[in-house]
Amino acid sequence: MNNERRVSLALTSTPMILIYVMVVFCVIAAIRQPAFLSPATLINLCRAGIFTMCFAICEMVVIISGGIDVSFPAIGCVAMYVPMYMYNNGMGVDSVFFFFGVAILIGLAFGILNGVLVAILKLPPLIATLATSSVASGGLIMLLGTREFTTLPPSLDWLYSINLLTYTDPATGFKYPLTILFLVPVILCIVVALVLRYTMLGRGLYAIGGDKNAARVAGFNVKKLQFTAYIFCSVMASATAMMYTTLMHSSTTTALMGEEMIIIAACVVGGCRLTGGHGSVGGTILGVLLITLVQNNLNMLGVPTSWQIFAVGLVLLLGAVLSSIQAKRIEKLGKI
Amino acid sequence: MKKALVLGTVTMAAAMVMSTFAFADDYKIAVVPKMTNIGWFQRMEEGVNEYNEENGTDYVYRGSAEGADQAGIVEQMLAEDWDAICVVPFDSESLAPVLEKARDQGIVVITHEAASMDPKYFDYDIEAFVNADYGTHFAEAISDFTGGEGKYIQFVGSLNSVSHNEWCDAADAYFEENTKMEKIGRYETGDDTTSSYNQTKELLQANPDIAAIEGSASTDIVGAAQAVDELGLSGKIAVIGTSLTSIAGDYVNKDVIQTFSVWDPAKAGQAMIELAKYVLDNDGAAPEELPVDGYDTLTADNTVLYGNARVDVTKENMADYDF
Repeated sequence: MNNERRVSLALTSTPMILIYVMVVFCVIAAIRQPAFLSPATLINLCRAGIFTMCFAICEMVVIISGGIDVSFPAIGCVAMYVPMYMYNNGMGVDSVFFFFGVAILIGLAFGILNGVLVAILKLPPLIATLATSSVASGGLIMLLGTREFTTLPPSLDWLYSINLLTYTDPATGFKYPLTILFLVPVILCIVVALVLRYTMLGRGLYAIGGDKNAARVAGFNVKKLQFTAYIFCSVMASATAMMYTTLMHSSTTTALMGEEMIIIAACVVGGCRLTGGHGSVGGTILGVLLITLVQNNLNMLGVPTSWQIFAVGLVLLLGAVLSSIQAKRIEKLGKI
Repeated sequence: MKKALVLGTVTMAAAMVMSTFAFADDYKIAVVPKMTNIGWFQRMEEGVNEYNEENGTDYVYRGSAEGADQAGIVEQMLAEDWDAICVVPFDSESLAPVLEKARDQGIVVITHEAASMDPKYFDYDIEAFVNADYGTHFAEAISDFTGGEGKYIQFVGSLNSVSHNEWCDAADAYFEENTKMEKIGRYETGDDTTSSYNQTKELLQANPDIAAIEGSASTDIVGAAQAVDELGLSGKIAVIGTSLTSIAGDYVNKDVIQTFSVWDPAKAGQAMIELAKYVLDNDGAAPEELPVDGYDTLTADNTVLYGNARVDVTKENMADYDF
């Protein structure tokens, strides 16, 4: 009896439901477009999901801690633009360490700013990070203007050219390379999952997200944990932005703007709760996979462009509703 | 940026010195761009500065950095006694009442990239070219490359963009009439390189026999070119559309993009000034030609004037259009 219940619970858990939705989507895609069933789809999916995955993990950590960060796209833009600007104006060295180093320092500065606003001045996180976002993107345009850098320095071009593997489609001869930077989200997911599960820091983030006062009474340093979450988010988002420049050959002041909502949506679909204290790396991975899968294969499915935004919205809605029903169900179970 | 500043200061100084000697031309004309913080309109500023330098005038180039407060800037100008205001509307809806006020005050209003606006808001609108001709050119260039056979896809910045869709419609019509080329679809990129990159990969996987990609927003063929390059298809697929040397130049050099077209915002700025002067000199009459490259013959459709200012950029002439 108990065992049966456990199995049925596992089969109807949020992650499993997301997997069902994805499987159904893939089956439909494969029926409508046989070309879908190719290793190329997997490689394209991995490549397209790199930025979304990294950003989602950043956001997830902040959401778990009971906050929200809408400033990471603007911070990322500053972090990708400033090093390229410096380099193109003779103020930088051509080294991967320089580009990523400057990006990370910029992320650190803005992360501290967010931390001060939220943890010390106690501003509502949405407003605080919205302000940081405006300061970052407005300040950037005011001080450095708007250009578009599309020629990579040799060191970043070298990084761009390293691939983990290249799949050559036997039928068409097309090459599908998978960049080495794919390892970044993979390692990030593993590390964050371990930290959240097995360290005091990780448990503390859940604790302050669930109930700040209870966490304080239990001995957690709430301010320090909030700082950690926002700094981690900004630093990692900045490094991701530099990866964007490397992989897309483009550095502009607006390239990432507007990404925040879809990233937050990926977290929520993956089981994070905006009220804080809930969320997991596994769930977030599934949320990102679902969104990337849908976003990048609607053409394949033959969904007309004019319907695509609607279709993405529908899938998000479905995911959000399912995970909210799930949350309620679990709460009820707890009471029995 | 710094260069533009220095250039600007030098030209302004030069213009101030020269204007003391030039009595013939004392119109007060302003050019207001959509925004000043992108390369496109910095090029337009260079055009205005160059014009001032050559003609000893001191026409003003003034706009808002990000465009959002353009209407406010023009409204402030109404108190300053201008003879003509040349404007590239950012948000035509919020600008319209301001332009109406300007015209009521007797200021000549010249617009650019505003052919879809109600003609009561401007004296004349000047366009670089007829959209249909521009689109037909892409179809011709693509057919030259593919030999008129194979499948093609089109990217537009937005499915609601009037100009992008007019270009693509004209190309469709040309393909239909003159070639055996077959359209797979028209896709929206939101002016986002990443979107055209991912969609190109997806569409090529589903349709390996695509022979041509036509882009509309300047970023469309850049993303498409990166995908084509990574897939190892450079030179096997036509990648042609609107773009800029600053973002597409690398792929032209690598032969991924065969050719792209553009119109020079510097010339557009100069054409607006010349048009304003002509209208002021001739009591509101329309010119048939303007002494600016690409606008030397004009086709009129009521108060909308079309030039022939398309520039086709290839590896050979790319250095001349470095913006």
